[in-house]
Amino acid sequence: MLKALNPLSKLVACAVWLAASILVFDARFQIALIVVIAAVLVALNRTSPLLLLALMVPFCLFGMGFLTTSLLFRQESEFASRMAGEALFSTSALSAGLTLFLRALACGMISAFFTLTTDPGAFIRALMVHARLPPRIGYSLFAALQLVPDLASEAQQMRFARAMKAGRRLRRVPGPGEIVGLVIPLLAFAVRRAGRTAIALEARGLSPRGPRTVMNAPGFAGADVIFLVAALGVLGLCAAAVLAFR
Amino acid sequence: MPEAAEWRGVSVRYPFVRSAAVGPASLSVRPGERVLLLGPSGSGKSTLLLTLTGLIPESIPAVVEGDVRLFGADVATRKPWGWAPEVAQYFQDADQTLCGMRVEDEIGFALENQALPEDGIAERIADAMQRVGIPEGWRSRPSSSLSGGEKQLVALAATLVQNPPLFIADEPTAHLAPQAANRLHALLTEHDGSRSVLIVDHRLDGLIQAIDRMVVLDRSGTVIADGEPRTIFREKREHLAELGIWRPAASLLDARLAEAGMAPPVAPLSVEEALAHVDPDTANQDDVRKARPSVKAFVVACAAPAVAAAHDPPVVARLMKADCAPFLGPTVLRGIDLAIRAGEVVGILGANGAGKSTLGLCLSGLLPLKSGRRTGAPGGYAFQRPENQFTAGTVRDEILAALPKSGADRSSPRVADILASWDLAGFENRHPFELSQGQKRRLALASLTASDRWPLLVLDEPTAGLDARSASDLVERVGALSRKGRAIAVITHDMDLALRLCPRAIVVGEGAILADAPTGELMSDAPLLARAGLAEPSCAPAMRWLRRAAAC
Repeated sequence: MLKALNPLSKLVACAVWLAASILVFDARFQIALIVVIAAVLVALNRTSPLLLLALMVPFCLFGMGFLTTSLLFRQESEFASRMAGEALFSTSALSAGLTLFLRALACGMISAFFTLTTDPGAFIRALMVHARLPPRIGYSLFAALQLVPDLASEAQQMRFARAMKAGRRLRRVPGPGEIVGLVIPLLAFAVRRAGRTAIALEARGLSPRGPRTVMNAPGFAGADVIFLVAALGVLGLCAAAVLAFR
Repeated sequence: MPEAAEWRGVSVRYPFVRSAAVGPASLSVRPGERVLLLGPSGSGKSTLLLTLTGLIPESIPAVVEGDVRLFGADVATRKPWGWAPEVAQYFQDADQTLCGMRVEDEIGFALENQALPEDGIAERIADAMQRVGIPEGWRSRPSSSLSGGEKQLVALAATLVQNPPLFIADEPTAHLAPQAANRLHALLTEHDGSRSVLIVDHRLDGLIQAIDRMVVLDRSGTVIADGEPRTIFREKREHLAELGIWRPAASLLDARLAEAGMAPPVAPLSVEEALAHVDPDTANQDDVRKARPSVKAFVVACAAPAVAAAHDPPVVARLMKADCAPFLGPTVLRGIDLAIRAGEVVGILGANGAGKSTLGLCLSGLLPLKSGRRTGAPGGYAFQRPENQFTAGTVRDEILAALPKSGADRSSPRVADILASWDLAGFENRHPFELSQGQKRRLALASLTASDRWPLLVLDEPTAGLDARSASDLVERVGALSRKGRAIAVITHDMDLALRLCPRAIVVGEGAILADAPTGELMSDAPLLARAGLAEPSCAPAMRWLRRAAAC
């Protein structure tokens, strides 16, 4: 259901949510955002809660940095503490750090919402059609999207060759030495691949000017309006609730 | 009416290289004509094609001398993208044609650039998919998730959908299974008076009959022959062989029949044509008897020599009830039981995406099994792209890295001997990436065989991109390795190569091994070949002729 929405509607909603998350320095507001978005993803996008938890791990680690910094360096966090002066944990040194931690998590959840519900190809097409993204940049983005799995597959082959020569089994996770050894050949591959893609685009007629059709570009429908109103409404309700309980 | 494409005295020189990559060459493609461009590896065929719409020198820096014209106009009058409505180009590497989208979007991309209406594009995409044989289920798959052969099919559909007056294809069937390759040859050459076709391809059987004219380049990229394929393959037979240029099987049979004074009246392009004048049912029986030794010699030369099994050689590697999957991917083969013995050469055959490379990696022990068991020595794997195998900065270091870490075996004379035995002397200080494709393959094999570490070798498409001479050289070397006791598995789409090199073959398909038998037997099992997306080898009609002649 969420996947059928125009990616640009979701982009606007996510941008507003991100701005609100940054501007409203209140732990309860951040919690409300996290819970609402997670619930929407689980209920409407059938996202596994475990996947959501796994996706939040890097954001948790990032947020922990804020938390520990706030606890260990109170002087530097004085401004943040003052900002959070009227918040739930206003008397505690933990308050600012916790709010910052939750904000990192809320931003992560908003990003996860966008990426889990949006097809990258549809997003680029929507940008080309509705946001005047030049096709040359749009299709370069498509190529970049393809480059990632191609690099992974190329790296895989190289790792097989290295494992064979070293007389060992392929490790599930490459060691630091192995990663360093792969950098130069992969870089060479990426440069070669980028050149080939540029030629492919040109040979098939991608020009810097003139009209062109964009197939399967997502349009805007009533559902997008409903989604935007709902997204902004929920945000308003969260903010109002926070203000009401101050 | 102007020529569809024309090169007049064109030579191309890449930066920092003293000699020209190709030319000076003069050739043309007339409207509605189907032209085949042949030449040994490194003769500059692909370079010549890239000059046609100005990709060289506009996008790939090089100095181009001479005139290149398209439909009578100087190619420089438009940017390369401006020629797209008139010229569809299929590049040697599918990644060079595809741009990183879903299959459906890849196919429609060129039409989008022509600003055609969306409905019309959708219809043409459906038509191209159906013609090329792309399953409907692939529509939404990202092209990056496809196997090499599958990508090639999509790239071809993406080029065919343009339906331009000039179609250029550079080795369109290099990684395709035989049935798909035959279908694509038919599509490319279907008669259409309004469409000109220029093809570079090494797989000539099944294609050559539909070609109107062929142009042959020598090693320096100069045109040495331009005319009807029949005439060139007969009159310049020795010269083509000397240059290492691929020839259809019929040309080889024609030569044998000529030696016996039984050459067909018209130079043949297929084995059937070569034997039509000595049909056992209708021709003079004396002529049939006279032709028989030649046909027999031809068939013998096509097939792997019988292995004299004096004793049971030891099993080098064995898979038992193995489930095989690509690294971090889903299981593609289940319940595989396979053993390979010392000195054996086993062909691994199957359609694109059947799981041949995955099986090869599991057999070599490089890829852990999902379930089941592997026993035996570790295997060395020669990858489809030899570049992926190189880890050192010079050819010498690549060999040194393959030798045992200590001992006199690492001496310079030993390395020099190894390089000399693989025709790589003089390249010691070159970076492996600077070598030609044939040299890269030889270096990959040299490093795998420099020591006794790998009693089992798995070769993935070992002749892809090689000219006839390099391929023949490789076949001999593989034969020599097997005689020394190495077990060798050869993954290939080339039925002729499988028959010539592998006394035994397995056919992979439908998630399992469909057959494991002597290659000659498999090649005459038409239902099995059809089921597995394979086709009979080019000498099969001669085998049938021999059976009929024997019955008379």
